[in-house]
Amino acid sequence: MNTDTQLSDWREQALQFEQQINQTVIGLQPAVRHIVLAVFARGHVLLEGNVGVGKTTLLRAVAQGLGGDYQRIEGTIDLMPADLIYYTYLNGQGRPCVDPGPLLKHGDTLATFFFNEINRARPQVHALLLRAMAERSINAFNRDYHFPHIQVFADRNRVEKEETFELPAAAKDRFMMEINIDMPRGDTELDELMFNPRFHDTDRLIAGVSSSGIYYRLNELAQTVQQRIQTSPKLHAYALGLWKATHRPQQYGVQLTDVEMPQLLMAGASPRGMSYLIRAAKTRAWLEHRDHVLPEDLQAVFPACMTHRLFLNPMYAYRKEQLLPELIQGILNQVAAP
Amino acid sequence: MRILLIMALSLLGCSGSIDEPVSYFNVETPRPFGYVNGDEIPQRIVIETRSGIGLQPGSLPAKGQINRWLNLNRVTVKQSGQRYQIDLLYQVFYAPLEVKSLTLPGFTVRLSQGEKSIGQNVPAWTFTLSPLRELVVRQSEQGEYMRPDSPPPLLTDTQALYGLAASLSVAVLIAAYLGYLYGYFPNMPRRTVFKRALRKLAGLSKADMEQALTVVHQALNSLNGQPLFTNRLSEFYRHNPQYRQINAQLLWFFNYSNRYFFSDGMIVVAQDLQQLKELCEQCRKIERGSR
Repeated sequence: MNTDTQLSDWREQALQFEQQINQTVIGLQPAVRHIVLAVFARGHVLLEGNVGVGKTTLLRAVAQGLGGDYQRIEGTIDLMPADLIYYTYLNGQGRPCVDPGPLLKHGDTLATFFFNEINRARPQVHALLLRAMAERSINAFNRDYHFPHIQVFADRNRVEKEETFELPAAAKDRFMMEINIDMPRGDTELDELMFNPRFHDTDRLIAGVSSSGIYYRLNELAQTVQQRIQTSPKLHAYALGLWKATHRPQQYGVQLTDVEMPQLLMAGASPRGMSYLIRAAKTRAWLEHRDHVLPEDLQAVFPACMTHRLFLNPMYAYRKEQLLPELIQGILNQVAAP
Repeated sequence: MRILLIMALSLLGCSGSIDEPVSYFNVETPRPFGYVNGDEIPQRIVIETRSGIGLQPGSLPAKGQINRWLNLNRVTVKQSGQRYQIDLLYQVFYAPLEVKSLTLPGFTVRLSQGEKSIGQNVPAWTFTLSPLRELVVRQSEQGEYMRPDSPPPLLTDTQALYGLAASLSVAVLIAAYLGYLYGYFPNMPRRTVFKRALRKLAGLSKADMEQALTVVHQALNSLNGQPLFTNRLSEFYRHNPQYRQINAQLLWFFNYSNRYFFSDGMIVVAQDLQQLKELCEQCRKIERGSR
């Protein structure tokens, strides 16, 4: 089988997978599309949204659909790194035992690691996760454990700020995308969610998602996609323009109301962030049946990949929720290609 | 002996002039007649003193009213070395019924050397003042006897007016050009966007396809006010609904441009450039409002 047919076969599977998720979790098509992009570009995902809008359900459905070993942990204020690595208990004979914790339990076949309410965990836990996410390995019991397939999903709700720890910039940067989950907008979807009993029992809903079993081939697939999808010099110039604009938006004519533009940003996008952006854009081009990346691919993934990587000056940080989307939109509106 | 006597005598002769505190004194006055009510009378006093002797400016008459009919308008003192030049400017306010003799009062200029002070008298000066008119005002045959001067004729100013109009119009033109450069007329260039694009396209051939596409992109971007991409066409039509009628051609253009710029293995044929020019011409027609 040559690579092109292989790619198109995989594309069919990916689209089928997306469709299945969309049937399970309704009204969240844009978020589902982003998650699919992140999964096939092998990037970690942070979900942010209000309480009860389906973040957890969505991630469980994705994990179920992908197949592979799945682990989940709830972030709490007293969670320590050791709790992820091992747990101790007394067995039936009254003997103390040490068993591998959620991260190590499945060894190198760990596929989806779901960190619920990540902002409730302490910075120590974030630090452990940093390494697990960036290097796909951790050190425990005097040896390194590798997780070549690990895919971290994390979520946090944006309603509460008490007893939470803001994710450090370094941890945020390791997530490929931060996806906002909003309430479904359409009336029919809201009606369905309220009255259709299918959506009342989440466990049964998730169990209905059939596992595609493509999970352990994702690394290979992602690599093929990254190699096969072409980027032209003009697209490189456009991406460079976008990158520079995240550092000095004023030079590209981006102007926000009531903001001294030169003082707005403390840090723009990182090289890692831009490489994630290009990976996601290539994956999108592949899903759109193309063998080359277009500016619209970059534009489609830019907000999700960039919003959590731009750090505003403390002076403007309290208007973050309003300014960041405006800034991202302004950059997309001002940078021209070609 | 005789020589000694001569020397002693000549020394004696010198000693008198050395002792004089004022070596030169003169009051210069103008003619002493022919003044009328309101005339100004200058008086200059020149004093040269021995070194070490200074003029006391406080001893000069103060500016202001001297007496009922006399004002001192200006007092200036110029000093160069030991020479003082004092200029006084008096003004007379006296309406005599017939020619009358008046006197500028004299005063004493004080000169001082250390704590010692000496005076130098400036003498009073007498002059005659004449009435402006006869005692009895008479009626003349031609109108009033008491009448003002005829106003002076105006200078011709047509030249200056022409010059002003010319320079003003040049200034307005320059200001308008500057405003154009600064982009103060946002709507004006939008009306000629495609005109300029067509002009640029005219000189391009099939080999310059990249440039040609860029020209059209730039024209559309500047019309839109921000970069225009395929997925923002619907918003573009909302602001510029008249362009909706060439939707098909615009879509062709964006697809073609995407393929040209972002995928490889694209072969350009001359017809493409022709189609691009046609698109631009149609845009120009819409721009002019003839479509």
